[in-house]
Amino acid sequence: MTIKTELMDSLIVAKKEFKVLFRKKWLVIPLFLFPIIMIVFFGYGMGGTVKNSPILIVNDDTGRASSSLIQEIGSYTPKYDGNPMFSVTYTKDMSQSEAESKINDGLYKGVLLIPHNYSDSIAKNESTSLTLLTDSSDTTTSQTISNFIRQLLSKTGSVILNIPNIYGNLEYLDFLTPGVIALTVFMGSVATTGSAIAGEKEDGTLIRMLMTPISKRSVILGKTIYQLILQLARAVVLILAAFLLVGFHMNGSWLLISLVLVIFTLGGVGMGIVMSSRVEDMESFFQLNMLITMPSMFVTGVFFPLSSVPDWMRYIAYCLPLTYAIDAMRTIMIKGQGLHAVSNDLIILTLFAIVTFTLGVHLFRREA
Amino acid sequence: MEPIIEVKNLVKVFHSRGRTITAVNDVSFDVFNGEIFGMIGPNGAGKSTTFSMLTTLLKPTSGSITVAGFDVQKQDDKIRPLIGIVPQKLSLYPLLTARENLEFMGNLYNVPKKVLEDKIDYYLKLVGLEASADRYTGGFSGGMKQRLSVIAAILHDPQILFWDEPSTGLDPQTRNVIWKLGRKFNEEGRTLVFTTHYMEEADNLCDRVAVMDSGKMVALDDPERLKETTGSTNLEEVFVHFTGEQVRD
Ligand SMILES: Nc1ncnc2c1ncn2[C@@H]1O[C@H](COP(=O)(O)OP(=O)(O)OP(=O)(O)O)[C@@H](O)[C@H]1O
Ligand SMILES: [Mg+2]
Repeated sequence: MTIKTELMDSLIVAKKEFKVLFRKKWLVIPLFLFPIIMIVFFGYGMGGTVKNSPILIVNDDTGRASSSLIQEIGSYTPKYDGNPMFSVTYTKDMSQSEAESKINDGLYKGVLLIPHNYSDSIAKNESTSLTLLTDSSDTTTSQTISNFIRQLLSKTGSVILNIPNIYGNLEYLDFLTPGVIALTVFMGSVATTGSAIAGEKEDGTLIRMLMTPISKRSVILGKTIYQLILQLARAVVLILAAFLLVGFHMNGSWLLISLVLVIFTLGGVGMGIVMSSRVEDMESFFQLNMLITMPSMFVTGVFFPLSSVPDWMRYIAYCLPLTYAIDAMRTIMIKGQGLHAVSNDLIILTLFAIVTFTLGVHLFRREA
Repeated sequence: MEPIIEVKNLVKVFHSRGRTITAVNDVSFDVFNGEIFGMIGPNGAGKSTTFSMLTTLLKPTSGSITVAGFDVQKQDDKIRPLIGIVPQKLSLYPLLTARENLEFMGNLYNVPKKVLEDKIDYYLKLVGLEASADRYTGGFSGGMKQRLSVIAAILHDPQILFWDEPSTGLDPQTRNVIWKLGRKFNEEGRTLVFTTHYMEEADNLCDRVAVMDSGKMVALDDPERLKETTGSTNLEEVFVHFTGEQVRD
């Protein structure tokens, strides 16, 4: 069997999948609408707490006022939580643009720049200014940091706080949208792949298809092509809807987003195949699906930044591939960063795809 | 008569939930080119399992099978285009129309588009489904589905047909249509291998009948001779003679 026939065969399968999909009106509508609804509903107002958030203080001043300010920031512990709010690193002689790049690289959630004449000015009762840079792609943390510093300085009086906006004026929605896209693609690819196969097992059509000369590879490839088109289409619809409905702005490259989503979809398809190989019908597939994909939804920081959750939860999140997809999506879509910034995420997602796909192909047998 | 299927010492063992089931237990037989070959036997006798192995879907635990001269394990891709299968379990896409189901099947066998369209029209008409050609099969009656299944397995012009219980659960009219088709396809030179639980069907149609019971093939001959040697007046009695009165699980 040549590669060309296998490819043609897979297109026959992909075409059939689409035909069947578009006849399931009750499925198509939620498939595209549900994530939009999620953005609109969850998008309005969400708070959170921050702890051990890494911040950098660039102190070019040597006087008393700045050292007491630093002391206060470093030791601050919120009322309801035993942990200090910040984990502070100190340095000096760093330009604002250099500081920004540290935030871009995800090293710090905030950088406070203290000018060399700060203590002098305070002592003389002159007005002076501080600059606070925050990672506004993490809206909750960034707001908490700004509010905290603002409160702190209100005691001191004549200090002006500059808070330049690195990523523009960001809202919770900007934080939420990339996460929801990753979540949508993940849940969508796992659930539609798996339930379709489980359904075909149930009604005998899968076996019937495997009795024909078509190869197992072509069947899987056909289903994969179908998923890639479907999931990318959903992502595009979602980004456009977020733009039209809530004014979401995409800062990054569409190409890079597609790359992340393609790799992630492959992983999702592989996982759907693996899961469907363990069940005989749709109903048991959906039960298994609940068990496996639900934790991803709530633990991986789709709705809140991982910096605001307890450690144990964060560790779970680091084991789930969705976490890395979300991180990559945010880095690209909000921070407008390039390939190098998401290379770690991509490596992990690629591994996920390779593992699930290999396992899926292996478990997807001709034998029923 | 030349054999088109040769089965030697075929065994299939399933391991499921800690139990070991020998579904097919050392079975050997030939099917001759151009004959109608029927398989009868109680539920669980191993008929479908044998079919699955003959049609390359299941790997034998041991033993060998050749179909049209090809080894089922090593040359399954040579065999698949030559055979047409009607599975025991109905398998149509409920959200595709009758025509689309047939097109999909034909495409998987790589039937050229024009030829396929003509055949689909021809066979739909032959089984009286032309008026329902563009309806989803999800709404079809059992008889309509089975007629469609049967013609879905002839579009690629196979040499050998495997029909697993094509008449179970159908009314006499539909069964009549199905067996007429079987005869017609056989007259066109195709070998037909089928299973049934209706003894008179096997009696009327088969050149030879095989009786299976508990994984063994307990008899194989032409229906008349089977009746003679067992002193029976019909195939029902032959069946009971070989398989006993006991109900199977
Ligand atoms: N995939 C499987 N796993 C485990 N056991 C199986 C499997 N397929 C069939 N069996 C068992 O093998 C035996 C033979 O089954 P088979 O379906 O071949 O019988 P059959 O003659 O076709 O029966 P029927 O007339 O009911 O269709 C049965 O005991 C069945 O439970
Ligand atoms: Mg059977």
